[in-house]
Amino acid sequence: MPLVEVRDLYKSFTRGSETIEVLMDLTLDVEAGEFLALMGPSGSGKTTLLNLLAGLDTPTSGTITVGGERISDYSESELARWRTRNVGFVFQFYNLLPVLTAYENVELPLLLLPLTGAQRRKQVENAMGLVGLSDRMTHRPGQLSGGQCQRVGIARAIVTDPTIIVADEPTGALDSASADAALKLLDILRSELGKTILMVTHDPHAAERAQRIVQLEKGRLAHQNLTLTH
Amino acid sequence: MFPGFEQIDGVSSSPDLSLVQTALYASGIFALLMMVLTFFAVLSLPIFFGTVFALEALLKLANNVPDPVGKLSKIFGLVFRSLRRNVVRTSLTYVALFVLTGMLSTIYSGVDLIDKITQEKEDNVQVIMTERFGAPSMMPRSYANRLKGILKELPPEAQPRNIDDDFMVWSFVGATLDLNKRTQENALFMLALEPDAIRTMLSYQGLSKDDMSEEAYAELMQSIDAMKKDKRNVIIGPERLELMGKQVGDSVKAYALGYKDVTYDFKIVGSFPAEVSRWSKSALMRLDYFNDTLDGAKTFSGAEVRPVNLIWVRMPNKAAYEALATVVNEPKSFSAPQAKMETASAAIGSFLEGLKSIVFAFKYIIMPAIAVIMCLVVGITITIGVRERRSEMAVMKVLGFLPWQVMGIIIAEAVLIGVMGGLLSTWLVYFAPKSIEAFKAFTGLKFKILFFDKISAPILITVYGPLLGTFVGLIGSALPAISSRKVKVSEVFAQVT
Repeated sequence: MPLVEVRDLYKSFTRGSETIEVLMDLTLDVEAGEFLALMGPSGSGKTTLLNLLAGLDTPTSGTITVGGERISDYSESELARWRTRNVGFVFQFYNLLPVLTAYENVELPLLLLPLTGAQRRKQVENAMGLVGLSDRMTHRPGQLSGGQCQRVGIARAIVTDPTIIVADEPTGALDSASADAALKLLDILRSELGKTILMVTHDPHAAERAQRIVQLEKGRLAHQNLTLTH
Repeated sequence: MFPGFEQIDGVSSSPDLSLVQTALYASGIFALLMMVLTFFAVLSLPIFFGTVFALEALLKLANNVPDPVGKLSKIFGLVFRSLRRNVVRTSLTYVALFVLTGMLSTIYSGVDLIDKITQEKEDNVQVIMTERFGAPSMMPRSYANRLKGILKELPPEAQPRNIDDDFMVWSFVGATLDLNKRTQENALFMLALEPDAIRTMLSYQGLSKDDMSEEAYAELMQSIDAMKKDKRNVIIGPERLELMGKQVGDSVKAYALGYKDVTYDFKIVGSFPAEVSRWSKSALMRLDYFNDTLDGAKTFSGAEVRPVNLIWVRMPNKAAYEALATVVNEPKSFSAPQAKMETASAAIGSFLEGLKSIVFAFKYIIMPAIAVIMCLVVGITITIGVRERRSEMAVMKVLGFLPWQVMGIIIAEAVLIGVMGGLLSTWLVYFAPKSIEAFKAFTGLKFKILFFDKISAPILITVYGPLLGTFVGLIGSALPAISSRKVKVSEVFAQVT
């Protein structure tokens, strides 16, 4: 049984009197432990699809089921709680809170879970160790390089031990070496920790890391398993 | 106009100003107040940031406390981090709130002071009988006894609790030490009354225990006891003694200014404590001695001798005063001359009549306007902060923070600045008058602030200040907080990426 089941998904936005259809008739399955890349031109609806899969938005119609939970029926607060436990986010521009240290940034989502201080510390140290930044825990984002910030972002994404990691252009702001390191990390998360990774990217090199590439065009699935040619 | 003793003495002038003059005067005070408050606000910035730092340190200690305290302390810690994010903006907001709260509490204190003077007290209403049409008020001695008779005829519940203790006759006595050389140094203006009235009735005129130190009060009591030993004994204020070149223990011969061939032989047995500046130029003599000297005396103009200027009575309540006033104000009760009865506060109220419109404007226009400006200052600052951190808030929501939690952080920031600004500012306004009084007592300097010998601020402002800060923080941050609550995670997520 797939971890993520998307059925007949439809999403539209209203702008004034105009209705903009972003996603139409979309059906998609993602297996547990799969590394999926979402590709497509600007405006094809890939970020909207990512938002829906990550529980950041609700569909206009259709269903999304993740791990047996129909999240498309959840309220805003139910989605917030679900996200804390089940989804880790990696952003293009890291989105770390500048006033917090690396440790505090990683600890932030744990504050919403019923964990003791000692448990939180252990999980943060594990996550920071996994991304190789145990020696940078007291640094603020301003004191870290772009690559290090992204690794802190990845540590924050995995610290709650989520089922799914959602990454939106995770290498978009990085140089090639840092991008490579970040992608390697995502790959390790999938292969060693069994995380399901959903990644939106324009970068073919980044997409190559994925096991499967889904191509979106004008809100519809163009390809379920695209092969990249160089 | 309230016939205060100091006006009779010619020491202070009434606030008889034109509207333009009064407005200019008020604007000047307003500007000066703003500058002083801004100065102190800037001076208090280290205290503000020190307190914020100390609170944050306390919160950090709480981080290690078991949850939920530990967890909440970490989330609340974000508030402090945000305040430190833009120190200049936080400082300016604090200074603005400090100054505005300070102005508001100063105006409130001033209005409260005037209200206290002019408002009727339900119990122990001090009333004054004066001549209805003459100025200065001059009544025959018989009026005092007649008024006492009227008081005794009132229903028991409307009578003063103790007619002797709650009754005081004032006669103003003008005299000179040298009939041929009537200089300021030789002038002696006195108030003739019963010595016990100083303790019972005059305590309401700035001579109570609360108006001076314990030592000074004991000294005053000694002087009153000494005055009671002989009818010629008098108490004279230190400044007047200095002007006259006399001291306690000296004997003085004085010549009446209003009556022919009347002389007084005084013995100075005491003085007013130096810290009671209001009485430093005043002098008290015994009423019985004054009355004795008037037996057979004639005025220079040949007019009837009417030596009683004021009669004070302390009535048990307002209803009792109204009952008495009804009788006194009847022309048949006191006809030659006619008398009138009014409360002391009403008399003072008419003295402050010129300030009434200014007080009204302060109370109902300027004070609410300041409160609105405070809300706007907080609102604008927090709005800027929210706009700057919109993506951060979205990220927090993406991570699972609920809208009310994000909103709570925003409101807490505003309330924290509001409370600190309100607290420190009102403390300044509360303690400044006390410091001025302490300075006056320490240095011996005597000066008035506006028309008041002694200024004070109600202690309640130290509670109202932080409450106002909380209120302003809540109201001012309401819109930006709601805006932060409405940050749509999906929209900002898309914009960020």
